Amino acid sequence: MRITHLELLHFRNHKKNQVDWAPHLNVITGPNGAGKTSLIDAIHYLCMSRSFVSTSDMYVTYQGESYFFLKGDFTGEIRSEFEVSCTYSRGEGKKIFVNDGPLDKLSDLIGMVPVVVLSPDDKKLTLEGPAERRSFLDSFISQISVGYLRDLIDYRRIRKQRNTLLQDYRGPQNMLQMYLEPWNKQLVETGSRIIAKRYEVLENFKEYLSRDYAMISGMNLTTGLEYQTFCEASADPKAIEEQYYKELEATFEKEVEREQTLTGPHRDEIIFYLDDFELRRFGSQGQHRLFALSLKLAQLHYYSDELDDLPIFMLDDVFGDLDLHKTGILLKALQEHSGQTFITSANPVPFEDFVTFDGNRNKFYSVVDGQITERDR
Amino acid sequence: MQITSEYLERAIEQLSKLPGTGRKSAQRIAIHLLKQNDEYALKLANAIIDLKNKVTRCSVCGNVSDSDPCKICDNPKRENGQICVVEEFNDVYIIEKTNEFRGRYHVLGGVISPMDNIGPDQLRIQDLLKRVGGNEHIDEVILALNPDAEGEATSYYVNKLLIPYEVKVTRIAYGIPMGTELEFIDEATLSRAFTSRSSF
Ligand SMILES: [Zn+2]
Repeated sequence: MRITHLELLHFRNHKKNQVDWAPHLNVITGPNGAGKTSLIDAIHYLCMSRSFVSTSDMYVTYQGESYFFLKGDFTGEIRSEFEVSCTYSRGEGKKIFVNDGPLDKLSDLIGMVPVVVLSPDDKKLTLEGPAERRSFLDSFISQISVGYLRDLIDYRRIRKQRNTLLQDYRGPQNMLQMYLEPWNKQLVETGSRIIAKRYEVLENFKEYLSRDYAMISGMNLTTGLEYQTFCEASADPKAIEEQYYKELEATFEKEVEREQTLTGPHRDEIIFYLDDFELRRFGSQGQHRLFALSLKLAQLHYYSDELDDLPIFMLDDVFGDLDLHKTGILLKALQEHSGQTFITSANPVPFEDFVTFDGNRNKFYSVVDGQITERDR
Repeated sequence: MQITSEYLERAIEQLSKLPGTGRKSAQRIAIHLLKQNDEYALKLANAIIDLKNKVTRCSVCGNVSDSDPCKICDNPKRENGQICVVEEFNDVYIIEKTNEFRGRYHVLGGVISPMDNIGPDQLRIQDLLKRVGGNEHIDEVILALNPDAEGEATSYYVNKLLIPYEVKVTRIAYGIPMGTELEFIDEATLSRAFTSRSSF
């Protein structure tokens, strides 16, 4: 999938702008705060219905304005040309349109244009708590499986209902058990499907991860990945369901005491290893950075094998941290990947030494004060 | 701004409280009404008063009705041993339009949702059990609730309470909307449609 044309109105520091993108490599340079990241964040909105930088739609609206509008023309190998637009206003909220038809739910957009983003924030993936890794995994799988996304949404709701019951219920415990039963059944069914899918995807993902880490690090360290859930994971949801019911029964008293759901995929964890050492505890800054890069490259390559249409790849401000040798390796890998890629960079990186910017297949832009110019090379 | 008619202002205020009606459309409606003759205004006003005063709930099935019991519960032809359980009275209206179902209804008045403070006791579930155990000769209960988390929980709960009555409990099939092409259907709907498939 590729975006050929982008229009922005009142988005971050772009009052009104439009760009024609190259089908392959797009490098965007310029000083900090000039609006480089805003450009790819706009594309991210049209793929995932939200920013990858900010948590609020209001914060990405141009200062002093009450709404923003984004429109992108996309083209794919399987699906031919189509248009995605996104509007947000303080009163009406956010709406997504595909070829002018409004989507019922924002989540209906997910997976239409698969996207992989690498940003400096991704160090958190291996440094911080399990929630970061679960959210990476959820966004990863949701883009390749509509069923998984639907299960996630349902699971969240079921868990909320169940937690409310556990918090608010005052009465005999056997009655509480009866009230919980209809929620337990759904919790177990959707939860088991989520775990099975996570297990299945991660089992396949391991290989991609070790291959890409070896490529980018140039070192012979073995990567490892361990998926931890409350039971023995399996790709078969039925095998999980049985253990799930048992665990719910065993933890009932504890759930009543703590007033919340204690068993399920919302407490899963993924542990990463480098040569049998847990990365989170023993990794160096450089290793965390390279690992995050490998995770996203592996995601890109996984999608490329799994999906009919190649994903859009975005690398936000990550080249400044790489030495010349690794810059070369990464740019070579990106040129071998035939999908569309966006790179932003504030630091002067010698992209020209590795890439030919012909203004057709690959383009080089500079952004200064919200003004975009394509540079001739 | 100078308000030239307090009555017009009051009408706009009330009309703008209607669902899906903003202040602008309320103004349009009020001005439209102002241009109509007295007879129309009186008819409209009476219709609203009658709606509030004369429409009641059927004490058997919980459906809205002008009489108690309602016309469906009162009709011997609709006594075929089947009860269709729905969430709200507008669901009755939707199913009736299909002319497919010739039994009677039971309106629960909602679905179980702890987040909204609705438990089984807030719904007309005990009334349903009384009907099934009573002299209506019920041999099948059809659950026609929405396939979302709350609808599922309610179906599960009702089904469980019906077990001692040894009555057949069925649910409407999950399917693919007519006129929809397969490629536009999400996996979850499609997989449900597969599991509840029927022979050709
Ligand atoms: Zn009735």
